[in-house]
Amino acid sequence: MTRAQPLIWLGLSALALALFLSAGPLAKFPDSWVLSPTDSMNDAMNGFVAVVGPLFKALGWLLEWPVAAAQMLLQALPWAVTASILILLGYIASGWKLAVFTALSLFYMAVIGYWSESMNTLAIVLISVPMAVGTGFGFGVLGFYSDRARKIIMPMLDLLQTIPAFAYLLPILILFGFGTTVGLVASVMYAFPPMVRNTILGLRAVPEEIIEAGMMSGTTPRQLFWKVRLPAAQRQMLLGVNQTTMAALSMVIIASIIGGTNDIGWEVLQTMRKAQFGESLLAGFVIALIAMALDRISHGFATKTREIEPTGPNIWKVSALIVAAVAILSLVVPGLRVWPETWIWNPAPAMNDALEYVVINYREWIEAIKNSAFFFVMLPIKIGLSNAVSPFTWGFALTPILKAVYAVIIAVPALWALRKGHVTAASLIVLWGVVSYIGLTNMPWLPLYLILVFSAYVTSGRGLAIGAALGLGFLLIAGVWPESVLSLYLCGVAVMVAFTLGTLLGIWASENQTVSYIIRPIMDTLQTMPLFVILIPFVMVFKIGEFTALLAIIAYSIVPAIRYTEHGLRNLPDAVLEAAQTVGCSRWQLLTKVKLPLALPAIMLGLNQTIIYGIGMLVIAALVGTNGLGQQIYIGLGDGDFGVGMTAGIGMAVLAMIADRMTQAVSRRRQEQLGLRFDGV
Amino acid sequence: MNWVLNSATALVVASASMAAADGPVKIAINEWTGQALSAHIAGSVFKEMGLEVEYVTAGAVPQFAAFADGSLHVNPETWSNNLGDIFPKAVEAGDIVITGNLGLEPKEGWFYPPYMEEQCPGLPDYKALYDCAQAFAAADTFPKGRMIAYPADWGTRTTDLVAAIDLPFQSVAGGSEGAMVAEMKAAVSAQQPMIMMFWQPHWVHAEIDLNIVEWDRYSADCESGPQSKGDACGFAQAEVQKIASKGFKADYPAAYKVYEKMSLNNDVQNALIAKVDNDGMSVEDAVAGWMAENEGTWKAWIN
Repeated sequence: MTRAQPLIWLGLSALALALFLSAGPLAKFPDSWVLSPTDSMNDAMNGFVAVVGPLFKALGWLLEWPVAAAQMLLQALPWAVTASILILLGYIASGWKLAVFTALSLFYMAVIGYWSESMNTLAIVLISVPMAVGTGFGFGVLGFYSDRARKIIMPMLDLLQTIPAFAYLLPILILFGFGTTVGLVASVMYAFPPMVRNTILGLRAVPEEIIEAGMMSGTTPRQLFWKVRLPAAQRQMLLGVNQTTMAALSMVIIASIIGGTNDIGWEVLQTMRKAQFGESLLAGFVIALIAMALDRISHGFATKTREIEPTGPNIWKVSALIVAAVAILSLVVPGLRVWPETWIWNPAPAMNDALEYVVINYREWIEAIKNSAFFFVMLPIKIGLSNAVSPFTWGFALTPILKAVYAVIIAVPALWALRKGHVTAASLIVLWGVVSYIGLTNMPWLPLYLILVFSAYVTSGRGLAIGAALGLGFLLIAGVWPESVLSLYLCGVAVMVAFTLGTLLGIWASENQTVSYIIRPIMDTLQTMPLFVILIPFVMVFKIGEFTALLAIIAYSIVPAIRYTEHGLRNLPDAVLEAAQTVGCSRWQLLTKVKLPLALPAIMLGLNQTIIYGIGMLVIAALVGTNGLGQQIYIGLGDGDFGVGMTAGIGMAVLAMIADRMTQAVSRRRQEQLGLRFDGV
Repeated sequence: MNWVLNSATALVVASASMAAADGPVKIAINEWTGQALSAHIAGSVFKEMGLEVEYVTAGAVPQFAAFADGSLHVNPETWSNNLGDIFPKAVEAGDIVITGNLGLEPKEGWFYPPYMEEQCPGLPDYKALYDCAQAFAAADTFPKGRMIAYPADWGTRTTDLVAAIDLPFQSVAGGSEGAMVAEMKAAVSAQQPMIMMFWQPHWVHAEIDLNIVEWDRYSADCESGPQSKGDACGFAQAEVQKIASKGFKADYPAAYKVYEKMSLNNDVQNALIAKVDNDGMSVEDAVAGWMAENEGTWKAWIN
């Protein structure tokens, strides 16, 4: 098969070109072949609800109580009491630095006048994060011990993370009924997958020596798990807790779309609707601050070494006394109970003015950046050089002579590769030339379908090829092929940019502590701040359209690329690094020859997550006027049409999973070449 | 398995009885200021009658699920062009009751800032657009004019009309209300060309001056018939309705009668919207002010 590969690539290139020039049923998928599954999906859903509806409604009613109780408690407590509890928790978890950070965050919430809304959000998160972490841990352990369970769990995780929350919001609403439960269930469903992944990854990465040492000292299986495996896997699992917390908070806003919460997410939605840049940024930042504080506190408690308490007063007792004192004080001083309105300060108008100043005064620059990205990168990929090159865009028309020049530009490196003996590379250069000439959205469906399936076969064998053939076939038959290709284009460009930039930043951060300190809060903010908020200034600067959407997707999906690269590079076995240094590796050699190859599994997990985040963000990007699968989901949600939204959701999942499996297969093969043990998830 | 079903049924019964009468009247609060004002006016009047009132934040489409199962009672401002699929089904099944028109007169159409009349003489007549599409052009639509349409999930009315009357414009989906307003604010502050499908009453008109494109004729069922250049009527206009859950009439008979009579108009709402969105007044204060000044109006609903 490997020998036939160049011929197949060339054949597909020729087929694509021939069909592009001819047009016919093989170029555009005929409408009469489409069998839309939406009606049968709706019927199935209605049937399901009719049977089990009452059970879910009851469950939903039950789940509302913990949230309602937490909300009532946090609303009833004077702000000074809640604040002192959280600040002291921060201090106990990791010292005065975290206490100051927590204090400043809480101060911020009160000063900008969002105390009560913030407490409602905190209440939801306090319930949903432990639920998600617990669920994720349970599935993770199950997946670690049972291969069969893992075979079922892994695709489920992919589905949950890639089917956008908007698509399952409607079924949850139908099943559980209106209320805070919808948001709670949606955020648990969205937030637990990273915990599962990291639990399995962590447990698997525990070195055999440690397990053997444990068994030699005669541990029972139960002790082996709790006392040996779990502590050894703790670091990786903490990354899971971190990601789960962030994911749960990023869902806060989505929960508010349903309503019934009156929390900070609702505030963001309201300001979003009014396009109040300053106000929505201020409100969005509250969510990011809650996320960071919760993450740091939980991280602090988890990593705290159990030292012997120094003699002196017990810190818990002291804290309890302080809280009690504040509580009594707040009975006397009304200003400590409810934050007085006169203490509220609103910088939003100034922020709005600043943005307006940029929009007015940097118009030419903005237009120039946008147009060059649009004309020279996005349009060629989307509609191909054959359509993108015109006097208006590039300054000249694509004459037959220029077409010949283009053919030569492609042919020369291909022939050069052929002479060097890289037959496959030569054929891929030709394929690339043909695809760039035609453009992704203009590609006839048959060759594009075959190219994708064949790439799946080449990278990871027959299993994935069959899966890809079926999944992509579903997109064709369900009639969402054009939307899928649009999504593929938008997401592909964004992921390429995000992964390249993100990996470089991650490497830099792993080598330089200052950089790491600076970018960590920025990443946390990007991941937890509702991205709707970022959309507003982007729209005001760059206008409604694809470029704005692209920037938004990049801003969101770059985070896992940075995070996983840095994490992978920083957590390498010391013995290996020391060995490399004794051999006399320079810093550059150490990085490129030792660290990067060893960190490859983590970096690939980062790419995997970048793709999944990118596809997830497509839905949000649709809010600034893109077409594609993301838009279909809103159409489904807006019409209350379960089937339309779900079809688009599954479409996104199919694309994400194919990309995911292909990246993993490539990574695995590279590791085998390097003689590394495979331990990706 | 039986005990599961039994306990589930018990819970459902318990939760259903929780939602029944005596409790506060639950009023839906949607995302936009105008609706929040209408809802608070209704709520304030109910309070004057001695009823307890609870305001519940709810998304414009998801709220209908809550009305259908009775966990929300009234929403005085429901737009007939933003209903989705659940609403008509629930009305047909009798779970949601339409209590009449609120009295607002919505106006939908193509809005543009007044300075565009200098660059495109002949506006507000739509026929002017044929000659000055270039004045509205942008890089992604050149040489056609750029027209912002409603988000794709609100239907394709602008695109259809542009095609029907053969305007040299390309419609660009607005994505979301926030994105549309953001673009509008940015365009007006930088005096850039802009034309956009939009509606009134909307708080943005309190902040930004906008004119609306005018048509040859007007008719209520405009979009059901064919249109062409020289014989165009633009868009059919929406209605704003008061809705209530099925049980509201039986559980709160007095409140229901008042609710039926309640009515507001564009001027009232625009003035209040300006107070809230331009002057930074809270919705509660604005409504309290209106209640104090217009005692005659709302007292007439009660009697």
